[in-house]
Amino acid sequence: MSQTDDWVLLAYRLPRVPSTPRSAVWRKLKRLGVAQLGDGLVALPADARTREQLEWVAEDVTDHGGEATLWLGRPLDANARSAVVSRMTAAVAAEYEAVAAEAAAARTADPGARHRVAARLRRELHRIQGRDFFRCPQFDAARRAVETLAATNPAGIPA
Amino acid sequence: MKWATRPGVHVDRAACAWLIRRFVDHDAEFVFPADLAAIPPDATPFDVRGAALGHHLGRCSFETALASFGLTDDPALEEIGHIIHEADLADERYDAPAAAGLDILIRGLTLTSRSDHDTLKITDRLFDGLYEHTRRQLITGRPPA
Repeated sequence: MSQTDDWVLLAYRLPRVPSTPRSAVWRKLKRLGVAQLGDGLVALPADARTREQLEWVAEDVTDHGGEATLWLGRPLDANARSAVVSRMTAAVAAEYEAVAAEAAAARTADPGARHRVAARLRRELHRIQGRDFFRCPQFDAARRAVETLAATNPAGIPA
Repeated sequence: MKWATRPGVHVDRAACAWLIRRFVDHDAEFVFPADLAAIPPDATPFDVRGAALGHHLGRCSFETALASFGLTDDPALEEIGHIIHEADLADERYDAPAAAGLDILIRGLTLTSRSDHDTLKITDRLFDGLYEHTRRQLITGRPPA
């Protein structure tokens, strides 16, 4: 998060039909981990990377005949801000917990499957980390679970 | 010719600059105005919003540039396009394991470079090497030793 608590905001409008570009844009925004502030208004903590990410989504929107503008803003309502941050953190925490649970469940699988699951979950963790703007504490447990799975020997006991 | 992009170049802009200098305009001059309105009228903008050489229809600027410069019949450049796409957008459209490392290296380079020109000096060498590596791999079907 930036020192000044700047947020980059994307206000966008896309035609309802066809629906494919709309869902493609929404999937992109979800992957970036945006906070939805309203209908067609999303935000991310501002830094060089998030600004650029939203700039390109804006370009996508206009490429598909929509309208998009980018804004840099600062929350004036501390409670509203922490509600938004809590929502973002909870979403990321749930993703980390799902990874941890899947890693724990795979511990008794055969070695080949364990290895494959661990490799996939490592990638998944990287993806989630990309949208974890507030250093969600659940990351550590999820990472431990995946690394334990990767190191588990055939008897199902962590090496 | 003069070419303009945003300052603080990262992977997509660095790759475009390399492509331009190596395949399009050997004497390319790059400028990095912080304000898009300050792009000189005689400069071609790239990797900025609203430019023809930008992100379009899910492609990163480097991929757009390949099509726009008519360089799509070089399979090594196409492969590099996939790497740049994943380094820049990470949407898993392509299988490009080199992307993650390239992203980190160029981000780190940007943090320590004195200027964008300074960054490009190093990334030009980096992309020359990546191009050669990719080209040889395509010829032999194996990563070069």
